[in-house]
Amino acid sequence: MIPKKGMIKSTDAFERLVHWWLAITCIILILTGLGMMFHSFNFLGTPLGGLKNLKLVHNFTGLLFAPALFFAILIWWREAGVFKMPEDLEWIKVAGGYLWHVDDVPETGKYNPGQKAFFLAVAIFGILMVVSGLIMWFPLSLPNGLVQWMYPLHALGMLAIFPFVLVHIYLGTIGVPGSARAIFTGYVTRSWAEKQCPGWLKEMEAEGKLEIYGEEKEEAAHG
Amino acid sequence: MAEKIKLYDTSKCTGCRACQLACKQWNALPAGQTYNTGTYQNPPDLQSNTWMLIRFQEMSNGNGDVKWLFRKDACMHCTDAACIKVCPSGALFRTKYGSVALDRDKCIGCKECISACPFDVPRYDPVTDKIAKCDLCFSRIDRGMEPACVKACPTGALSFGDKDEMIARAHARVKELGGDANVYGDQFVGGTHMLYVLTEKPDVYDELPERPRVPLTVIAWKDWFKPLTLLAAGGVLAGSFIHYLTHGPKDTSGDDQAGGEGGE
Repeated sequence: MIPKKGMIKSTDAFERLVHWWLAITCIILILTGLGMMFHSFNFLGTPLGGLKNLKLVHNFTGLLFAPALFFAILIWWREAGVFKMPEDLEWIKVAGGYLWHVDDVPETGKYNPGQKAFFLAVAIFGILMVVSGLIMWFPLSLPNGLVQWMYPLHALGMLAIFPFVLVHIYLGTIGVPGSARAIFTGYVTRSWAEKQCPGWLKEMEAEGKLEIYGEEKEEAAHG
Repeated sequence: MAEKIKLYDTSKCTGCRACQLACKQWNALPAGQTYNTGTYQNPPDLQSNTWMLIRFQEMSNGNGDVKWLFRKDACMHCTDAACIKVCPSGALFRTKYGSVALDRDKCIGCKECISACPFDVPRYDPVTDKIAKCDLCFSRIDRGMEPACVKACPTGALSFGDKDEMIARAHARVKELGGDANVYGDQFVGGTHMLYVLTEKPDVYDELPERPRVPLTVIAWKDWFKPLTLLAAGGVLAGSFIHYLTHGPKDTSGDDQAGGEGGE
């Protein structure tokens, strides 16, 4: 996966770090959460020495998830947190060409509406998970009328995030080949960028901000 | 095995608390230091080492007369038990007698049952990091004995037996008592396995919910969102696989020299 000459830089090191920090904590939270959600998944606690430890791992991983989520929102909300109308609506109408054949998929910026929806789901429900989770950790210190609602809200967050994560993993790997390198090495092929983020590519080229592997950053100087 | 019910007839209760003591004795529950709070009710509430207590309540009838109401407060052993529904480890379970028992080894101290219980029964013990509550003396009834509290009751206020028989007995007693007397327990949460014969209307009693039910939050959580999560996750996995097979992966390669998937 070593970048080749001519590849385009799409993410910086901090973005990749935050992504994996968030991803790893999120996956641990999902697995340990499943262990407590379904009796048939209780066995997931066995390697940790029981369900009590599973719960501890879940709770403390949540504490690590929170700052990752904070940075994720901070660095991506501009690019992935705001829908751009009407282009994004046009893209949604044809489902981005992902579900049936579309001759001309409307151009998107760095992130398409599907990715934006994923970002927003993780951001909004992620905050909900952190807040409800903290209250569930210390349920006796608050009025039960409030505490009671945290459990279904936490379950709602799982319902929103977990299936979305699966879609994200599929599309980030075999669904859209060439995507994973964006979040491992930071560099993507030009043809990938032309198909996945044409609007962003044009904008970066116009502004001379594009960083190309193996080339001097001379474009940046033009800016 | 037939379901069992513990019947508590408030009209026969004298508030002697033999049941409360018998409960502590059988379950080897130590007593804490007590103090006078101006009532015979002691301790003031259920505790992790007090699984049942007699509530003492003074009721004025408006013309200067005061009536003493007693109520034995403990786990009601609901058929639709919210605590079993939410327990993540299976520590709380339904026995073949219909009662709700606790496997202490499995309890992880998450306190979810405390929040769910419509009767505010489970108590958390920070020392053991586990919850505690009445288990209808599972260790006794499973050997053909009656619960310790029933055994100790000197007035016949407590009785224990087959479900249908106890329900019939409760209704017969209410008919006998007349007035505001009513049966409390067989009309909600699928029927409780502790049944009250109350001499007053339920709303008269302290800390007694008039219409107890599995909280809506528990229903939304366990009956809606939980199965939906399984459905959505399964659907997405199957959908992705079908998508890959039918629609196929997106072609992001190109003829530019920066290299498609195959590279140079």
